[in-house]
Amino acid sequence: MFEFLFRYPRSVFTKGDLVLLGSWPVWLLGVLIVAGIVGLGWLMRSRQSEAVGSIKGWRSLVLWALQSSMLAAVLTLLWQPALLVSTLKPQQNVVAVLVDDSQSMALKEGGQARRDQARTPLQAGVLDALSRRFQVRLYRVADRAERIKALDTLTAQAASTNLGDSLKQVSNETAGLPLGGVILVSDGADNSGGVDLDTITELRTRRVPIHTVGVGLEQAVKDVELSDVQAPARALADSRIAAQLTFEQRGYEGRKAKLAVRDGSKVVAMREVTFGKEGNWQTESLLFNAGSAGARAFKFSLDLQEGEENQKNNSTERLVNVQDGRRRILYIEGEPRWEFKFVRRAIEDDKSVKLVTLLRTTQNKFYRQGVDQPTELEQGFPAKVEELFGFHALILGNVELNYFSPTQQELIKSFVDRRGGGLLMLAGRNALSEGGWAKSALAEVLPVILPERKGTFLREPAAVQLTGTAIDSLITRLVEQPGANDERWRKLPQLADYQDIGTPKLGAAVLAEYTPGGRARLPLLVTQNYGRGRTAVLGTSGTWRWQMQQPLEDQTHEVFWQQLQRWLVTETPGPVVASTPRQMLFDESRARLSADVRDKTFLPAADVEVEARVLGPQGLTERIKMKPDAVTPGLYLTDYALPKTGSYLVEFTARRGAEEVGRDVVTLQRQDGVAENFRTGQNRELLEKLSQQTGGRYWKPADLNRLADEIALSEAGITVREARDLWDLPAVFMALIALRGTEWWLRRKWGAV
Amino acid sequence: MGSRRVSALVLLGFCTISVLLAQRGTVRDFLDEEDNPAPMPADAQEPGEYTFARLRYTSKRNGYWGRGGGAWSTDWPKADRQFVQGVRRLTRVNARSVEQVVELDSEEFMQYPWIYATEVGRWDFTEKQAARLREYFLKGGFMMTDDFHGTFEWSVFYEGLQKVFPDRPVVDIEDKDQIFHVLYDLKERFQVGGIQMFFTGRVSENDGYDAKWRAVLDDKGRVMIAICHNMDLGDAWEWADHPRYPENFASLAYRVGVNFIIYSMTH
Repeated sequence: MFEFLFRYPRSVFTKGDLVLLGSWPVWLLGVLIVAGIVGLGWLMRSRQSEAVGSIKGWRSLVLWALQSSMLAAVLTLLWQPALLVSTLKPQQNVVAVLVDDSQSMALKEGGQARRDQARTPLQAGVLDALSRRFQVRLYRVADRAERIKALDTLTAQAASTNLGDSLKQVSNETAGLPLGGVILVSDGADNSGGVDLDTITELRTRRVPIHTVGVGLEQAVKDVELSDVQAPARALADSRIAAQLTFEQRGYEGRKAKLAVRDGSKVVAMREVTFGKEGNWQTESLLFNAGSAGARAFKFSLDLQEGEENQKNNSTERLVNVQDGRRRILYIEGEPRWEFKFVRRAIEDDKSVKLVTLLRTTQNKFYRQGVDQPTELEQGFPAKVEELFGFHALILGNVELNYFSPTQQELIKSFVDRRGGGLLMLAGRNALSEGGWAKSALAEVLPVILPERKGTFLREPAAVQLTGTAIDSLITRLVEQPGANDERWRKLPQLADYQDIGTPKLGAAVLAEYTPGGRARLPLLVTQNYGRGRTAVLGTSGTWRWQMQQPLEDQTHEVFWQQLQRWLVTETPGPVVASTPRQMLFDESRARLSADVRDKTFLPAADVEVEARVLGPQGLTERIKMKPDAVTPGLYLTDYALPKTGSYLVEFTARRGAEEVGRDVVTLQRQDGVAENFRTGQNRELLEKLSQQTGGRYWKPADLNRLADEIALSEAGITVREARDLWDLPAVFMALIALRGTEWWLRRKWGAV
Repeated sequence: MGSRRVSALVLLGFCTISVLLAQRGTVRDFLDEEDNPAPMPADAQEPGEYTFARLRYTSKRNGYWGRGGGAWSTDWPKADRQFVQGVRRLTRVNARSVEQVVELDSEEFMQYPWIYATEVGRWDFTEKQAARLREYFLKGGFMMTDDFHGTFEWSVFYEGLQKVFPDRPVVDIEDKDQIFHVLYDLKERFQVGGIQMFFTGRVSENDGYDAKWRAVLDDKGRVMIAICHNMDLGDAWEWADHPRYPENFASLAYRVGVNFIIYSMTH
């Protein structure tokens, strides 16, 4: 309709400059219009007395306005109005046609693959129309652009899409050519992170418009996509791991599906979920056993649903470095207590944690259990930093503050803050507020503000229950299903005692509460991260009743204490902590490797040499010397390009001369052709943005028959300035007729005709 | 008698029964079975981490009663309270001043991970009680048995034990076992006689001439049942304040008892 009324495409009006081609001066037009309007006004006023009564007053003003408009329009047309536009010179310019050839273009929608949705209109005349006016260069686009002779060579099998690099490459290749425009036919499913600003700027500088043609549905009709999996990079052997799986679905609202995690072909955990509202992100947790030590690739999946359009986006992998060796926990207890005995028994079969205990049996005598050497802890609680920092976590039982020297109190604080250890404080008649800890230096690291009063510890029974925060906590997960787990906690035998542990601090997580005598709920188990470490307070010493008052086969007490102690130690770092932002590299090859190195006192070690030894696929071995970071002492960095797809193990070793300071391991995996299967809906936003920023336009495949005309309106390449007359537009004539017609209709209505 | 009086009497009777029932499971149970009464400590109602729990079991022949007096209640409650005073004085164990009598069939039984059973040469269990006791040990409970002497009483004891653990052997506790070292080093142990020696002139009773320190162990080699055969540590606790009772007997009995408690709270 627009072009019927205005003869030219809309872009001519947006890009063209309005000019008057008549040889008479423009000022004369203005004078004549003003003179004409005034003359008409004078004429109408002078004949007012002769006019019929119905067209006096405001009605005469309406007629005057209509006649003035008619006069102004006719005078303007006499000056030959036109639009001045830049157009590409025929056969002297190059137009680059880039067609996405990645795997996502093989997706079938409505029985037709995206590749065919792109190819069909191009082959049905669009390319011919372009060729008649321009030199057309065809490219296939994947991780880079590659020239092709015909569209038949497209296979839609490329593992990745990198639109930015491809556009940059085309821009560079055509730097010496009169590039008049770029046509990008794609679903916009770029998996390189989008088009960078440099590429956009470069194309804008050359004034090359990018016309984007979007293919594919913006949203799948029936699909389930496992969008993200959050799993820890490290875990202790035989420990439980919690993974958060985020997925989205369309067309399956209310249906049930199975979430599973596999280690190789073995299913290690599975649970049923019900799909929520269509199009919403849904996150569910899945617990599974880490298994034995080693680098493990766990495959997470949602089972395929009937009629799914994309069957390759239901699973993804994550690497977990399952670590061997037992983490050591020092548990100091101020007096013999049943909790001490039953905690020891609860974790004695846990191969990943070793409990070293120091029990004050009499005023001057300690009983040591679990020590490695006969002399270990012979003098009681460690007073030297190296001795205490040799442990991964610390449990303070029923011990009063004054037992510890000021140095030892500071050491405990540094143990959490600097060393990154876990600290658990238990209730007791000499613990927490009863032991004077509320006003200690250590109060800062605790997750609660301890009450500054006495009488907080009572040997009375109390029922326990979980909070909403505990749903995703590994510590309190006794049963897999959250609802059943909540119920399990409610049915636990009552605690033997409890202590008011005060008010949880901001940012702390209250995982469990107790209700003494059915009264108000008070925090029982509170955790938080502090510095490099983590702290927890458990407001009871009476969980041993869970062991004695439940059936023999019940493992609640054991599971709870094993999980709590693993939480204390799992994240405790060694002297070298190696890391990389992403362990799974999907269609990427570069990884930043870093190592945080500390000395024996866990202060940054800036005077060491750090070497990364890479063991890759097919016997690949490399040694890389890491460079110290200029800003952060103790941090060593390197960028590594993974040459092949496959699994990599990188071992970092820090040395000071001949002395080894520490070592750590990071696992990586490069997989190509995976990201292409995710987020496969047409990224119209990216395509529209790209065309808008470069002066082009977003097109639908059905509208491409006008593409050749419109692409000619470009300021890039070799152009000519063309004047497009406006006087003979159908819209102009219709406007003139409308003016006269309106006047006639009004006169007739008012009885003047 | 008017109906008001009948109602009042019924109400009074109901209240009396209620009060008596409410006192079950408290320190005031079984007062009529006391063997050697002792004053109730002033802080008897104050709870503690450790409670001296005495097992009230049925004797093989005469129900809860043994030969001319208590079997389970022998030396009770004086021995218990006097021993706990020592525990409080010698260790950091937060011990309740007064003992607790526990029965195998009671719900509270599992709340006391340390129990003392005396005159076990007379004990007997139903199958249900034996199963409950077995579960108690396998969960982590600990029992000290005492004051049975000679071959005959051993055979009765063993018969009861077999109901609890048909396939677990009784072993002699090695000198190096932590139960003899957890607080006091008890390398030198000897037979501790009961008060009967004042009359018989002999430390031993029946044909139990040598003290036997035996145990039933769990799968990890920890003592579940500490068996003190041919000795009477309970008498030593009970008569430690008697001018004629040998100090070395009382001292060893206290140290053994203390070690058993500390051991049970650490292993």
